[in-house]
Amino acid sequence: MKYDKFSKIDSIKEIKRYSLPRPETIFIFDFKKQEKEIDKFLKGKKTVSIRSDKRGNSRFCPNIPRCQSSEAKPLIEKINTQGYAVILHEYLPVKKGRIAAGHILILKNHILMELIGSGPVSRLDRQGAVEEIIKFRKSNLEEVEHFGRRLAKVGVFRKVANLVENIPCFRVLDFALMEKGVYFYQIQNDKTAKGLRD
Amino acid sequence: MGKNKKGKQKITLKGIVASPGIVQGKVRVVKSPKDILMAKREEIIITPFLSPDFITLLKKNGQIKGIVTNEGGATCHAAILAREFKIPYIAGAGKATKMLKNNMDIILDGEKGTVYEI
Repeated sequence: MKYDKFSKIDSIKEIKRYSLPRPETIFIFDFKKQEKEIDKFLKGKKTVSIRSDKRGNSRFCPNIPRCQSSEAKPLIEKINTQGYAVILHEYLPVKKGRIAAGHILILKNHILMELIGSGPVSRLDRQGAVEEIIKFRKSNLEEVEHFGRRLAKVGVFRKVANLVENIPCFRVLDFALMEKGVYFYQIQNDKTAKGLRD
Repeated sequence: MGKNKKGKQKITLKGIVASPGIVQGKVRVVKSPKDILMAKREEIIITPFLSPDFITLLKKNGQIKGIVTNEGGATCHAAILAREFKIPYIAGAGKATKMLKNNMDIILDGEKGTVYEI
């Protein structure tokens, strides 16, 4: 099965390459052929997240961030028949058990985190609802700048920064810090970040 | 006006550098996305945040000199687009829409994340 040129799927595979923790995930390209795999994934899960991806066009893809497992299969089949590959994720609640979520921008000398406490991370992107910003110096992971209210002790985020310090520059990672651990679910290039003061 | 006792420019606001560059211009406080189309050359847009609606209109008006928003950060969609269009942008400037009034002359320092009143 070829996964090439699916930007979101490639991004999740890249997270795996960097050995970063990610939510349990499967990719579905052919509902009928992969039905057993889907059943196995859904087993024991009340809720899942459904995202989708299209070869060469990852924008405006259907997604259901919170989907009852019992309703997932017909939706996956429908999305598949519309020509999208489905990304089926373990559901990470946006409130219960979550400490923070947001973006990590890797600069040349610093690691910048922009965080939100509860709620969908799309609020951060689309409404600018940033609750905390932390900038760590890459060389020693010292906190050099801080804005907003503390969502967790700085040491907690330093551990997250430690996981990503070797990621190439000008990459943005989407992550969620849960009480049970940290999960990365997307990594993207941001060449425009080269212009930022570092 | 706008200077302290030592004659230095008074910092009116501080925020997060979302797109670098230093520009001088007149303030236009924008509350509705459509108001962006009214912005004239040399104007610096001050708004609560650049939602996707604002961004679409921002592309149509190539005259905007700079942007300051109350909310946001350097990794939001708005910041990435501002950097793409090379428009200096300070995000997360708190009370920008309250403190800055239409037609005020300001300097937006998108290197330090500060706004000075002239």
